Amino acid sequence: MKINITKYLKKIIFLCCLILPNKLYADFFEDLTSQIVDNPKRLSYGVSVTDVNQDGNFDFVVTGFGYFNLALSYEDGKLINIVDEKIFSDEFRRTIGVAACDIDKDGFEEIYFLNTDTYSGTKKYSDRLIDFEGDNFVDLFEIEKNKTDLNLTAGRSVVCVDRNGDGAYGVYVANYGGPTRFYEYEDQKIVDKSVQLNLAKVTGGRAVVAGHIISNKMDIFAANERGANFLYKNNNGKFLDVAYEYRVEDVLQNGRGTALSDIYYRGRLDILNGNWGGFHRAYVLKDDVFEDIAKPTFDDPTRIRTIISADLDNDGYDEVFMNNIGEPNKLFKIMDNGVLEQLSLDIGLEPDGYGTGAAVADIDNDGVLELLVSHGESRDQPLSLYKAKVDANHKYLRVKPLNKYGAPARGATVTLISNLRKHSKTIDAGSGYLCQMEPVAHYGIRKNEKDIRVQIKWTNGKTKTISVKNLNKTITLRQK
Amino acid sequence: MRLLRNFKKLILIFLITLTFSNISISEEKNYYKDLVTDWSRIFPDNNRNAAGPKFFKYIIDKDISYKDFVEYNKLYCAVSGSLIDPNSTPEFVNINEEKTGKKICGNYYRCCVPCSCDLMKYTTVKKMKHKFKDVTKEFYVLTIDNPCSKKDFPERVTKKYFCDGNNIAKDQVYNLDGRMVIGLFHNTKLCNDNDIKIVKAHPVTGEYCDIRNNTPLEELQAGMGDIFIKLAR
Repeated sequence: MKINITKYLKKIIFLCCLILPNKLYADFFEDLTSQIVDNPKRLSYGVSVTDVNQDGNFDFVVTGFGYFNLALSYEDGKLINIVDEKIFSDEFRRTIGVAACDIDKDGFEEIYFLNTDTYSGTKKYSDRLIDFEGDNFVDLFEIEKNKTDLNLTAGRSVVCVDRNGDGAYGVYVANYGGPTRFYEYEDQKIVDKSVQLNLAKVTGGRAVVAGHIISNKMDIFAANERGANFLYKNNNGKFLDVAYEYRVEDVLQNGRGTALSDIYYRGRLDILNGNWGGFHRAYVLKDDVFEDIAKPTFDDPTRIRTIISADLDNDGYDEVFMNNIGEPNKLFKIMDNGVLEQLSLDIGLEPDGYGTGAAVADIDNDGVLELLVSHGESRDQPLSLYKAKVDANHKYLRVKPLNKYGAPARGATVTLISNLRKHSKTIDAGSGYLCQMEPVAHYGIRKNEKDIRVQIKWTNGKTKTISVKNLNKTITLRQK
Repeated sequence: MRLLRNFKKLILIFLITLTFSNISISEEKNYYKDLVTDWSRIFPDNNRNAAGPKFFKYIIDKDISYKDFVEYNKLYCAVSGSLIDPNSTPEFVNINEEKTGKKICGNYYRCCVPCSCDLMKYTTVKKMKHKFKDVTKEFYVLTIDNPCSKKDFPERVTKKYFCDGNNIAKDQVYNLDGRMVIGLFHNTKLCNDNDIKIVKAHPVTGEYCDIRNNTPLEELQAGMGDIFIKLAR
């Protein structure tokens, strides 16, 4: 009898051991939403991460659609809106897309707010390009000399592009039902150069990313609706659409959340591309053609909005967060050989969430990324803030490249090289969908990982490699 | 006792399956996704009007099994060139065999009802033999006459998809003894009296098709209208 009980007890323990890890997966995130001070229901869209008040710390910029644009800064364990100037908060212009970069080469990032008061075609209010001058925010588009080329077409996403690799950023504006715009500072004036650069195509612009995709300078991938995607190869600062040749045109699908990600951990950026109610793609470059390696459940059609690729739990493998609107979010882990393993979500699932945007940043500087999710469109909802529950043994390394002007080198590629992987990350120039992540390459460190080096490929294609001796820190690299 | 032991094993397997059910690694082929992905390869100028033959050629040129061939061919309308949602219900129709004039019955996957009528009136079926990755099979295909010398070749159809001058373009579409293959006829058999009755009694293939197929061409509004008919008549 005693033997029988022992035998059954052993079996029960064995079964528990099998079941327990599954249950542990269920709580990947902890909910930090209560850290957001004054978090009412609202209609929000894109989220960007930049240093709004130039204090050396990143802030979340959250757009409002008929609500205030916010600049959420981390102070004493709380996220607090630090801007109430009308030109920035601007509740009437209905902002949806946002990206920040240093357009005027002063070492600080300007913020491009894409406003949309109509679904498609001509809109009433133009966009804003916010510069922090002295102690005030200024809309550069309201300065008389800059008014000649205002964007009066409905749009969605924006992305920053240092097309010549010289630190002078332009902004690609993915318009809807009107030509794409590309704004640059030229002779102290903001001008639209989309026609000269072969970018002025008319489509249903949705998501857009830019970085080292197929050339040694910043290329652009635009995921469109009701038409082919664009893959613009950087050809000495001008662009050539090679989407068909590289097999990413995906004519029948309606593009949404898009991110650059090193899906094979092989030291190059490939493309994750969500499609609205369509197949989500994991494009990896093979023999000069992108092959979609996504399989169920990753590619299952959802009401996808933002897609983020980042190492949220510091284990050395990137997660892919899929933010859906009106249906549960999804989370995947990119394992070796391009396997996209779905993780259970409980916190962060948001089954009734109307997700419209999201961004990651280590906003509290503790070495773990925070994930801010915005909601809206057809239901007003507050923001959510999550952080992965991280194993205390997991180490991290953060690399923050600055260009020769001292501004975040958005579009540069950082590659961590070790005995276990060659893992590239873009310094985000705009991604997700309507959004932009922090301009830092954030790496968790894998078990038994050693001989770590970091290579940076600047926006001009030049590279620099350094050895890393100490972990759990942020390395700032300045371009010479 | 043995039963109990097997039951315990089953429970164990069930629990293990449940434990790892959050990890989804399904390798099942997604035929529909393949066609969506390659759509602009099949139709480089994005015009799929009446371009069922392009789908058929694209599929038969793949190095695939017979099962794959059948499944792919359920996902487009041979008449209109539209993609069809997976798991759609086919229409039971009868079509004359080109060689014998006998009525062959089978399933047709269509995008909308007029296509079934146009198919029955304007196509014939032919037997075709093909070596697949796993097996050599004979099956019925839907065919139309070579349209390339038509003076009224429909303007909304991309002629270069089908024709090389007055000839069927063999690199674009499948030429079966001088006839153009537009799709696969599924689950075929020689029709018996009861099959014919079923087709005639069906609200689409019976009454509706009677009306459509007796309407002058210039008065046709629904479906592909006159596009496929002009190509196939």
